[in-house]
Amino acid sequence: MNATVQAKLKDQIRKLDSISTAPAILAPLLDMMRLPSDSIRLEKVVELVSYDGAIAAQCLRLANSPLYGRRETETVRSAVMALGLERVRSMLLGLYVNRVVPQDKWVLDPEAFWRHSLGCALITQRMAQKIGYAEPEKAYLAGLLHDLGFLVNSVLYTEEFRKCLRRAAEEHVPLHEIEEQVLGFTHCETGQMLCEHWRLPKELSDCAGCHHDVSLLPAAGPLACLVHLSDLLCRMRYLGYGYEEMMGVDLVGDGAWQALVATYPAIGTMDLVRFTLDIDGAMDQIVATVDSVFGAKKVAVTATT
Amino acid sequence: MPVEIAKATPTVSPESSRSDPAYLKIRELIYGISGIYYSDEKLYLLISRCARRMIALGVATPPEYLEHLTTRGNRDSELRLLLNEITIGETYMFRHPAQLEALRNVILPQILKVKGAISLKRLRFWCAGCSTGEEPHTLAMFLLEEKDRLLSGWTWDILATDLNDNSLEAARAGIYGEYAMRTTTEVLRRKYFKEVGDKKFQANELLKAQIRFDRVNLRDDSKMLFQKGMDIIFCCNVLIYFDLASKRRVVQHFYSNLLPGGYLFMGHAESLFQVDDSFRLVHFPGTTAYSKPTAAQAGGVKK
Repeated sequence: MNATVQAKLKDQIRKLDSISTAPAILAPLLDMMRLPSDSIRLEKVVELVSYDGAIAAQCLRLANSPLYGRRETETVRSAVMALGLERVRSMLLGLYVNRVVPQDKWVLDPEAFWRHSLGCALITQRMAQKIGYAEPEKAYLAGLLHDLGFLVNSVLYTEEFRKCLRRAAEEHVPLHEIEEQVLGFTHCETGQMLCEHWRLPKELSDCAGCHHDVSLLPAAGPLACLVHLSDLLCRMRYLGYGYEEMMGVDLVGDGAWQALVATYPAIGTMDLVRFTLDIDGAMDQIVATVDSVFGAKKVAVTATT
Repeated sequence: MPVEIAKATPTVSPESSRSDPAYLKIRELIYGISGIYYSDEKLYLLISRCARRMIALGVATPPEYLEHLTTRGNRDSELRLLLNEITIGETYMFRHPAQLEALRNVILPQILKVKGAISLKRLRFWCAGCSTGEEPHTLAMFLLEEKDRLLSGWTWDILATDLNDNSLEAARAGIYGEYAMRTTTEVLRRKYFKEVGDKKFQANELLKAQIRFDRVNLRDDSKMLFQKGMDIIFCCNVLIYFDLASKRRVVQHFYSNLLPGGYLFMGHAESLFQVDDSFRLVHFPGTTAYSKPTAAQAGGVKK
């Protein structure tokens, strides 16, 4: 990407806030996302949930669904307690970040996008825990936000991005390879710019920027390596961008794995087959969370069966 | 199912005989011959397998059955029969579609490229522990379907082996019921099977001709050494009963049976972690396989 394109994109991203309906609540929400989960305050979460009637209703509906024992939950506060702060936090971010993209500009199926993002968040966090990385919550967040560039590309380059996705799906190849050819830049670069615009910690914007190629970082940070591996794993477990990529992934042979081995030798004790099975087992939770964000319909169907 | 077995074997009470030391001796015996080891938690499986044979023989106690296996004149054939009970399994066609997709989309194109460059247009597949033949028949259908596409100009052979005589006999006959056929499309049924009454389907001559069946004990080193030049080995849910040492040995054999660039497919929950580190685990959409690296791959880190 040349300097002119970069400057143009930066300018466009600055103006994103005015063309999208991204609410003012995003800033305090992002602040909360930076906290470790044990220091999130219940009152703060309840306040953020109550800010929007539709979201409060969605929380109540999910808390009353069979997945959570069909409790008689009537207040936002008890709904938040039933769901757990961690889940509500991701739900909130999903709901609000969604609004960055106007309805008619979604290129990727929004459900597929959030399943991928939440899947990646969960895998990054679990992998972080396995290897002894000190801040698993941060890892979760890095996984959750790594593909924000999808949103930028959807809003700013809707038709071109649609073309990229269609071609990538037809050719069964990674999306960023086609983006590079068609757009001249990838969702990694625009994602990084959005993170910077939102003043997220540098580590997080690095992850968005380098998750397809950690060698872009002068010294690949552990977080970017974890996100890179989790993203690959997601895409190999049907949690990709809504199509199958025809490739084989040797995680242990990957540069990111090798970079982690030096600082986190515990990664060598990870049985990847076992880990993959564990991840598959957690997919129901991911799908349920995504459904709760997206459809009253789906939750209602679950409630009657 | 242990419950069913308990019902069907009134003369053998698993509760009272579970602790019978004769079973521990039978366990050692089976382990010595086949490498299949029943841990204490899995011992009930061995007991249920023995129970079937004990009923057939009219034997009432475990020590008496142990005698049949060790000192009686027919001990070899009884051992064979018990092994047949132990290695029996029920499965169905196209059980692992993600494995076939990985073959079609990634693995075979890779292998064809390398072998094609040296005009070696032949592929070798081995289904190790093929049970009643669902896996090799599935593979044969898959390859025949690719004959005019991906595999145009290529030939192949499929070796399918098992330890269990009954299974091999069934596999050779190639007759399957609705359960085994439930994921086989109508088109493929018509193309590769003939109906042989009462919802049974038999593999036709074309399909049968793709597969060579043989009895191979994975524990038998001399036979294992003989299998060379493999491109793909399937060994799904076979090694789960093997103890670590036997598993390690079998996997090392597989490694040398495979050509560089070849792949080993195992059951989806089977891991070679801490069993073998010569293979590389590769994730494909919805499945995993173990790759024997080529010389070039072995040298550096694969991106």
